[in-house]
Amino acid sequence: MSYLCLENVVKTFNKTEVVKKMNLEIKKGELVSFLGPSGCGKTTTLNMIAGFLDVDGGSIVVDGKPVHLLPPNKREMGMVFQNYALFPHMTVFDNVAYGLKLRKVPKSEINQRVLEALEMVRLSGYEKRYPKELSGGQQQRVSLARALVIKPKVLLLDEPLSNLDAKLRQEMREEIVDIQKKVGITTIFVTHDQEEALAISDRIAVMYEGRIEQVDTPVAIYNHPQTDFVSRFIGEVNQIQGHVVETFSGNQCKVSFDGYHQVLSCPGTKDTLIDFYLRPEKIQIYQEHSEGLRVRVERKMFLGAKTRYILQLKDQQFIADISNTVLNPDQIIEGQDVLAVWNPEELLATKK
Amino acid sequence: MRKVLPKACLNFFCILVYIFLAAPIVVVLLSSLTTTEYIVFPPKGITLRWYAELINHPEFMQSFTLSIMVALGTSVISTIIGTMASIAVVRYEFRGKTAVTQLIGSPLLIPSVVFGVALLQFFSWIGLAASPVALVIGHFILTIPFVMRLVVASLVGFDRSIELAAKNLGAGRLRVFFQITLPVIKSGVIAGAIFAFITSFDDLTVALFIVSTDVVTLPVRIYTYMQYQYDPIITSVSSIMILLTVILMVVIERILGVGKVFSSKN
Ligand SMILES: Nc1ncnc2c1ncn2[C@@H]1O[C@H](COP(=O)(O)OP(=O)(O)OP(=O)(O)O)[C@@H](O)[C@H]1O
Ligand SMILES: [Mg+2]
Repeated sequence: MSYLCLENVVKTFNKTEVVKKMNLEIKKGELVSFLGPSGCGKTTTLNMIAGFLDVDGGSIVVDGKPVHLLPPNKREMGMVFQNYALFPHMTVFDNVAYGLKLRKVPKSEINQRVLEALEMVRLSGYEKRYPKELSGGQQQRVSLARALVIKPKVLLLDEPLSNLDAKLRQEMREEIVDIQKKVGITTIFVTHDQEEALAISDRIAVMYEGRIEQVDTPVAIYNHPQTDFVSRFIGEVNQIQGHVVETFSGNQCKVSFDGYHQVLSCPGTKDTLIDFYLRPEKIQIYQEHSEGLRVRVERKMFLGAKTRYILQLKDQQFIADISNTVLNPDQIIEGQDVLAVWNPEELLATKK
Repeated sequence: MRKVLPKACLNFFCILVYIFLAAPIVVVLLSSLTTTEYIVFPPKGITLRWYAELINHPEFMQSFTLSIMVALGTSVISTIIGTMASIAVVRYEFRGKTAVTQLIGSPLLIPSVVFGVALLQFFSWIGLAASPVALVIGHFILTIPFVMRLVVASLVGFDRSIELAAKNLGAGRLRVFFQITLPVIKSGVIAGAIFAFITSFDDLTVALFIVSTDVVTLPVRIYTYMQYQYDPIITSVSSIMILLTVILMVVIERILGVGKVFSSKN
């Protein structure tokens, strides 16, 4: 049963469709990330859900009721803004209490709920401060408490962490997920940081040019990208071309990568070329091995736990990321020939 | 070393300018304390007699009350219109926006004498007699540009996402305006209101064209009184006006800081 439904949602600005017939179903209590490059329509979609923008087509349904014609103040969505958007003339307490006051909640209950919300975001004792007397991370927590205290139907977060420094960003994202799971609130989290999306999401909706390319769990998005864009956008990939030398029944082919023969399942016809994507961490290199793709180590870069090897095959370059516990980088000398080896199952077919 | 001399010169020059600006005010304030029957500086002796004497001049009290009422009316009306106009100009694109902005700002460019003549003709044309209402109309046209300058300055850089946040939390349009927008631009609005008050309260030029024998503002009263008599009553009334203005300026300074008022971005 889906709790939040986007059905054929369209948004047009100046005759260009910025969001194109978008469909998405989110289950109750689920955390879904919108992930995509800048300008792909993440904020626009979120603003339509919150009611700050009108939809130009389609419908938005929450808990079985269409909401896309309601004004934002009637939708009961909790929004956390990128720049926090705290009311500068109100104390932390009044900021968090604002939504409750509008709902005419009795004073004693307001008091109790605000204090609980502030405790949840670990800001007890800051009630009397003004927003400008708080750090960025603290302001973001107030903003989260303010959104959650009204018990909204859906929590919407638009790049809530992008104004924080890297370390705080990681802490805050754990905290947000903790709170989200504890409250059990259906959440949309907009980000263009794929690591963030992979780390916290139940499912990720990868967006590109106003369309959702794929909605899936982080593992599925990473390991089984369904479109070329997703393959290239999530993580890093090498593009590699193989030559089909033989076909068998059941979509099995024998493919040659410059003499490195592998049998894999893909639809191919004899004597054609096929493009594949291959993630850098799926490649192993050996100085001696029974088979493999012969390449030259152009450069190696020590990256702490792993080393990145730039491999040259004719006029093409690959990258391979190999853990230093698997291969001691000192054994490999730049300029040396090695054999690159991978498991045929790791090859991601392109969709051309 | 090389920078010390120019700096000293600059300071000296600034002090001279301040003295030049403040001197007339000080002269008026001090000469209102004289014991003589005529205005003299430096004052001879010190007395508050000329302030007490005001009680025997009900026409000054009348004018004072009228001026205060007109200034209050002007302040309220120009603040409301000026604030709404500022919001429209800063936030919305509409046809004729530049024309509206220019029109509203034009009283700043026209000499007030010309403006006074124009008002006189206009009022007699529409048959509006000299009255507090006529004065308020004349004045708020003058003061709206000031209010707009101040309010526009506080609206530029206003982060509108806080309005969205309020809507998101359940506030309707009016609530958003009165609970979020207005409190945040409050300093500009208050400064605008006070400026409008002072401008109206101090205005002589425009009022001269509008007043009649029984509707006379304080500056006009002082002006006409001086044409026949020249005693220290004038200086005591003027001192009261100066003090009131200074108090209001101090209030603005407390709210905003004068520097901020004049360094508005637009
Ligand atoms: N009010 C508007 N008027 C016209 N075009 C707009 C408007 N708002 C957004 N756009 C356009 O719509 C597209 C999507 O914008 P949107 O803000 O949704 O992107 P985004 O995915 O949130 O990007 P980012 O990661 O940079 O925040 C962009 O091309 C943008 O230029
Ligand atoms: Mg955005």
